[in-house]
Amino acid sequence: MTETAASGCAPQTLLDALAETVVGQRPILEALLHALIAGGHVVLEGPPGLAKTLSCRALASAVGGTFKRVQFTPDLLPSDIVGTRVFDQRSAEFATAFGPIFANIVLADEINRAPAKVQSALLEAMQEHQVTIGPQTHRLPEPFIVTATMNPLDSEGTYALPLAQMDRFLVKLLVDYPSPEEEVRILERFGGAPPAMPTGVVAVADVLRWRDEARALFIEPRLARYIVALVAATRAPHEYLERGASPRATLALAALARARALTGGRTFVVPDDVRESAPAVLRHRLAFNYRTITDRVDPEALVAALIAAVPTP
Amino acid sequence: MALTRRLRALAFAGAAFFATAAQAQTLLTLHVRVFSMSLDKTTVRVGETFHLSITTHVDQPVLELDNVTLPDLSGFEIGGDERRCSSSGRGSECVEVLTLDATEPGMRTLGPAAMDAVDARNGKPSRFLTNSASIDVLPASPLSSGLPPWLRDVLLAVLRQIALLVLGLAALVALVWALTRRKPRPLAPPAAAPPAPAPAPAGNGATWQSLLAALAGEPSRPRVVAVREVLRKRVGARDGETLADLLARRAAGGDETLRGALLAVERAAFCEDARLGEAVRAALPLLERLDAPAGSGAASRCGA
Repeated sequence: MTETAASGCAPQTLLDALAETVVGQRPILEALLHALIAGGHVVLEGPPGLAKTLSCRALASAVGGTFKRVQFTPDLLPSDIVGTRVFDQRSAEFATAFGPIFANIVLADEINRAPAKVQSALLEAMQEHQVTIGPQTHRLPEPFIVTATMNPLDSEGTYALPLAQMDRFLVKLLVDYPSPEEEVRILERFGGAPPAMPTGVVAVADVLRWRDEARALFIEPRLARYIVALVAATRAPHEYLERGASPRATLALAALARARALTGGRTFVVPDDVRESAPAVLRHRLAFNYRTITDRVDPEALVAALIAAVPTP
Repeated sequence: MALTRRLRALAFAGAAFFATAAQAQTLLTLHVRVFSMSLDKTTVRVGETFHLSITTHVDQPVLELDNVTLPDLSGFEIGGDERRCSSSGRGSECVEVLTLDATEPGMRTLGPAAMDAVDARNGKPSRFLTNSASIDVLPASPLSSGLPPWLRDVLLAVLRQIALLVLGLAALVALVWALTRRKPRPLAPPAAAPPAPAPAPAGNGATWQSLLAALAGEPSRPRVVAVREVLRKRVGARDGETLADLLARRAAGGDETLRGALLAVERAAFCEDARLGEAVRAALPLLERLDAPAGSGAASRCGA
């Protein structure tokens, strides 16, 4: 069903370049690309050593935009991220020292290790693509995407992200261990040397063009209703759900489905685009109640069941 | 005889006078503000317990009031008598509560109760009276009235056993319910596999051809959807299964014509309206090459 014959670099080019650096984790790389096209932020969750940070760095390097990494720690301050005002003695005026948030791709490593005050400093940047330092508001460069990583294992000394902030992330990706075959390839390819980063595979202008193209993709009315039904299914009374997803999730699901369709070379969205995008969009937007713990229900299975229960068009 | 009578009367009057004078000397001097009587029920059955309260409020600090004369309580059994007094800067309040059981049916009026004291307002011995109170005593309940005591005891014992049995059953049901509820319910079961497509009945080919002819004559979204439905039935698509699922599960990948037809129909079903005609034209040759699919005579969702 390939439809497009886009000029310049196609999204698939970027995906292939990323796959050369990151062995395995193909679904993660695809989801990162889709989020980049959809203009959303990504949170990656998985145990240490599964190429979460590497994937984000490779993406930034391949896109050719500016990249900044912030290691979140308990003593981090909001000004360490957004910047601050400093007094210049020579000019006798205050000047703005911009923080690492001023980059195309910002990697917030172990975002849940910083307290809520610092996490909240990201809210304005993530939602409005702007930050306020002192009296002035500054626009962030476009494209602007926050890729955050979280380690679910060491919960001591971490601060759970509030639901309001989790909602700002377009997708949450679960990073799993590679297969034995992939691990052998990792050993062969990176036997001691650091992995080579793909550089300048596509330009920032390409990404912005993809975004425009994705926004123009067609969603048939039955599919639009399917998207709404999927999100609405999370709001129906459920024995394990405290709260469902917001309309922001509806918009996110449509945007991600469009990005997936664009990557697939189509000018229209098909049911597969929606259904495949749904888990990543919904899983971090649902508030599960205590019974999921007492009954040992896997939230991931719950999300899958919710999605499977909605008839596809 | 008459003298004797006069002497007796005089003696009686004298005795009465001295008795009253002696009693007056032992009476408390009180400024009575409140002296009333009340019942906590206005209707009771024979054998049923109720309470009669006599409330007194006086200006003087007193520890107890022992010169209160109770009303006539014939027809009632006194089950208890509780008295308490509390004093403050504004005087004392004493309440006497009698626990009574009615023994005879009928409308009964109790009271008034009386209290003898020296009225502090004029210094004279006085008798203070409460109000009266009425209570309607109904006959005992049928269970306890017309039955001999031994039979009543047996019935009560049986009823007690039944109540215990019901309570036990309720507890058992609650326990079973709680245990059942705590088990994690299986999440949405996978969609049941539909039965294998039946062999194409005679005549289906004609229906399939008519569907395709209608689509070719005037391409529209409902007609594409109808053809897609029939085609999906042919390849045994399950409820909720997408095209990717279908292609992955089925051996459709091996049948290039079928695979091409599925992809082309999917495109026609979801492409932009402006490209619908083009998509249908691309799909029709592939669809016409297929055999008549089973179930093509089924009603379509879109009624094409």
